[in-house]
Amino acid sequence: MSRPDIRPWPPKTVPEHEPDLTALLALVARGDHRAFELVYGELAGPVYGVVRQVLRDPAQSEEVAQEVLLEVWRSASRFDPARGSAAAWALTIAHRRAVDRVRSEMAGSRREQKAAPVLPHDDDVAEVVAATLDHQRVRRCLGGLTELQRESIKLAYYGGYTYPQVAQLLGVALGTVKTRIRDGLIRMRDCMEVTW
Amino acid sequence: MVKILAEDLHVLTGSYALDALPDLERTEFERHLPHCPSCDAEVRGLRETAARLAMTRALQPPPGMEQWVLASTYRTRQLPPLPVDHQRRAQVSRLFAGQRGRIPRRVAAFAAAASVAAAVALGVTQVSTQHQLETAQASDAAISRVVTAPDARIETTGTRAGGSVTVVASAALREAVVTATGMVSPPRGRVYQVWVMSPSGARSAGLMAGSSTLLASAVVPGDRIGITVEPAGGTSKPTTTPVAVLSA
Repeated sequence: MSRPDIRPWPPKTVPEHEPDLTALLALVARGDHRAFELVYGELAGPVYGVVRQVLRDPAQSEEVAQEVLLEVWRSASRFDPARGSAAAWALTIAHRRAVDRVRSEMAGSRREQKAAPVLPHDDDVAEVVAATLDHQRVRRCLGGLTELQRESIKLAYYGGYTYPQVAQLLGVALGTVKTRIRDGLIRMRDCMEVTW
Repeated sequence: MVKILAEDLHVLTGSYALDALPDLERTEFERHLPHCPSCDAEVRGLRETAARLAMTRALQPPPGMEQWVLASTYRTRQLPPLPVDHQRRAQVSRLFAGQRGRIPRRVAAFAAAASVAAAVALGVTQVSTQHQLETAQASDAAISRVVTAPDARIETTGTRAGGSVTVVASAALREAVVTATGMVSPPRGRVYQVWVMSPSGARSAGLMAGSSTLLASAVVPGDRIGITVEPAGGTSKPTTTPVAVLSA
């Protein structure tokens, strides 16, 4: 594989048990640096991965991922476990920051200068990622969507495109994309038995 | 000026959860969100789903990153918690979410259950499904009024029938919203009945399914809310030991 900097996360040596992020974040909110190190250990890989997926450029991705993880430290007291999982909270911040970065670059039309090397097709990336049961499930559930649902979701989330851009890329109507994204995600949610 | 109708906004939950709304629509949707508990609940479920998509993309971060981030925490002041009122509202909106974010069905059940309460309050003991649907609109507003009341209090407990029940009560409005989630289906020919229990006795607040919401009226501080299993159609007094009792 020609991309030595893309390695699976977490490393295989990490024990299987997952620390309780919710409890750790409560400690982080009270200024516990040790707890934050553990939170970092859990979230850095997914945060960096999703930012990189959207931005592609490694240096830029690192910068944004750093900001996101520092934001986790800064706003830990704002995490409300009643409203979702800690991982989803952090990844929501991460994805949004990445997308906002794309958009501000578009607005400043600096995108060409920063034209990033293109990552391998995302199926290749998926192969270097640890094939945990969760990942297999995500893939299985993605496989259960219609082609249009799956492509719309991938372009919007992994590609960081707006739905009108997705509509243009796929050559379908705006309304169609909006409903396919929602229907597809709802189907994914039910398939993965997400409980929020 | 982009103006989007409320009905059209709900279909945007998916695009919003994926950060795929153009800026103007995102602003509009975020303005709508606090007023649309069902949208909010759906967005949370879909964000959780998106997070699973993100997890599959996890990568080993660059080596210098950890040091930079950990060092930065020592020179970064943390935000204080949000005021309690904010948290309560967030908690309240979760009530409507139930567990799974399947909005249309949940909203229907919730509205139907609420209308049972309204009908019972009017002295009607047996109501048709059609009637429940007809009165759903008004009850929905009544329930929103209670859960957003400035003095609303929340209590949650597990039930002996599984799942949990939450009561949001407003002393000022003298009303309480009762939400059950995940209780097992009652045996054939039986229903769950909700009671407002005071020293002078218990009066029915309506019937409910294993997961639903209803509104109890004329509730005063000191009253308690109980749920019992009763014969289909309900009874005038509780005949079994409550599966749950909470203060109103």
